[in-house]
Amino acid sequence: MTATLKRATPEETVIAVVDDLIQDWGLDLDGGIGAATRVVADLQFASVDIIQLCVALEQTYERKFRFQDLLMKDGSYVGDLTLAQFAQFVQSRLADA
Amino acid sequence: MTLRTLFIGMDGATFSVLDLLTSRTDPAGAVMPFLSKVFRDGARAKLRSTPNPLTPPAWVSLMTGRTPGHHGVYDFIRAEERNDDVFFTLYDSRDCRVETIWSIASRQGRRVAALNFPFTAPPPKDLNGFMVPGFVPWRHLRRNTAPADLYDRLKQIPDFNAQELAWDFEQEKQAMNELSDDDRENWVRYHLPREQQWYRIADFLLTSESPDLMAVMFDGVDKLQHQAWAYLDPTCSHEGRGEYHQRMRELCMAYFRQLDGFIEKLVTAAGPGVQVFMASDHGFTGSTEVVRINAWLAEKGWLKWQDVPDTEEGRRREDSMFAYLDWKETVAYCRTPSSNGIHIRVARRPGDSGIRPEDYESTRARLIRDLEELKDAATGDRIISEIHTREQVFPGAAMEDAPDLLLVLRDCGFVSIKNRLPVVERRPEVVGTHHPDGVFIGWGPGISAGATLARRNIVDVGATLLYSLGLDVPSDFEGKVPPSLFTQEHLAAHPITIGAATALAAGQADPADGMGEDEKAKILAQLQLLGYME
Repeated sequence: MTATLKRATPEETVIAVVDDLIQDWGLDLDGGIGAATRVVADLQFASVDIIQLCVALEQTYERKFRFQDLLMKDGSYVGDLTLAQFAQFVQSRLADA
Repeated sequence: MTLRTLFIGMDGATFSVLDLLTSRTDPAGAVMPFLSKVFRDGARAKLRSTPNPLTPPAWVSLMTGRTPGHHGVYDFIRAEERNDDVFFTLYDSRDCRVETIWSIASRQGRRVAALNFPFTAPPPKDLNGFMVPGFVPWRHLRRNTAPADLYDRLKQIPDFNAQELAWDFEQEKQAMNELSDDDRENWVRYHLPREQQWYRIADFLLTSESPDLMAVMFDGVDKLQHQAWAYLDPTCSHEGRGEYHQRMRELCMAYFRQLDGFIEKLVTAAGPGVQVFMASDHGFTGSTEVVRINAWLAEKGWLKWQDVPDTEEGRRREDSMFAYLDWKETVAYCRTPSSNGIHIRVARRPGDSGIRPEDYESTRARLIRDLEELKDAATGDRIISEIHTREQVFPGAAMEDAPDLLLVLRDCGFVSIKNRLPVVERRPEVVGTHHPDGVFIGWGPGISAGATLARRNIVDVGATLLYSLGLDVPSDFEGKVPPSLFTQEHLAAHPITIGAATALAAGQADPADGMGEDEKAKILAQLQLLGYME
């Protein structure tokens, strides 16, 4: 994890990672992305993109987060998530550590 | 830096097809004339794949010199059972528990380039060289390409097109489905420019960087053979089969002709002093029947289907590549078609669904008997020709992640996990499936000319590549360098040496990483009991 990211909040980090992830995708995003951005509805994530985002966040923080607890609720995969929800989950996992 | 070793992977290449394509008996000449020359002047052996001859475990075995029971990659899809749920995700390079040849060579000062190999994403931190992973969608190629500036350099290659180059999840799903004639033709056409993209990158890195080891994998061979086996099948005559058949066959020949050209150009660019190796992760053959294994297990009372709502999501779940079951009522099931494996659900904690741990052996024995009972109604022959326990085929530190049983179908096919009947059904047309025997080929200075070796194992390839790079073979490698692949003079000048064991895989540096505190505490307590920690 870089020194800059160490100082950043989970929300800032999630947004920075997603920003990096989608840089070549050619999405038309008025005003860029933020905490309220939804990965499926706004960024057109498919399931494989969500997996890649989870890997990217785990790499950034150099630890595994067990994202299944975020992605699966009551036996079903959740339909969509905001970047704030990803950030809150990361925050809670970091607090547990 | 000077290139020492060129490795060309051909996913699913099989001698039964390549021997015909390199044959000069056809008046028009060989479809693959350069490979024909390689066969004549080099050495070859059948290469036995992993127990389940499948891309993920097989390529990882090739890249690590270790069997799946040690490296821990068994399938495309990884599942984690959580009481009454099963969470499915994709394997990635961090799931490999052992060190790869890319890392082994890197930490000993060799510069490597590895292109299009599966499970190389995310790339290792200790890489000395270049990596563009395979089986990654184009939208994630930049982040998974190493070093960080390489992706922008690749974009400078004329006609570079990441979308054409990379893995397309939706397209790949087609490989396992029945296609219309038009879709099948488009499927074959799709792979021609795709392979060209990988060739261009290989050529670019080979000529501009000249790494010690240049490795590139062409996976169109597998993709073509899955859908176009009928037009390649070496056991059939292709004369007088109609206009569509001839057009498809000629399209397949165009693919292999193009591949032969890429091989020749890469070998030529590598120069005369370079040792060239080629290998496949498995071979190919024809599958004649569909075996709906979960339907059989349901009939026998081992699993219960989940009710699928008549909605768009319900249809998606039913068409997905993994099982959708009532987990509370399921004891044994097959997770994915590619696994050819059966998992037994064992209750790990009081209140969990699944059998009691003490009932495991008797349950598994009963399950084996039920699977043996699946027979051809007409002949009485068993449909599942071999049933292996995981102790038999996946021994090692990663065995606990393996399926409890591995099935080998009588036609080498992959099972279906769909909720449909009949359990066994003849296919309208033969389709391509994986055969356990792939190919291993060596060519160049120091390689025995015209030698045909006894069958080797896929774990031997990694050992051979390290040897070719002038490195020791790690003492914990299961793979061995085949001495008869090399001339006596070469062996005398370059003895095969066994060296230090491999280092921990980068992703495994901290085995407790990502565990809950309670799990970490349990591990620490166990280590204390064993005397490993204070």
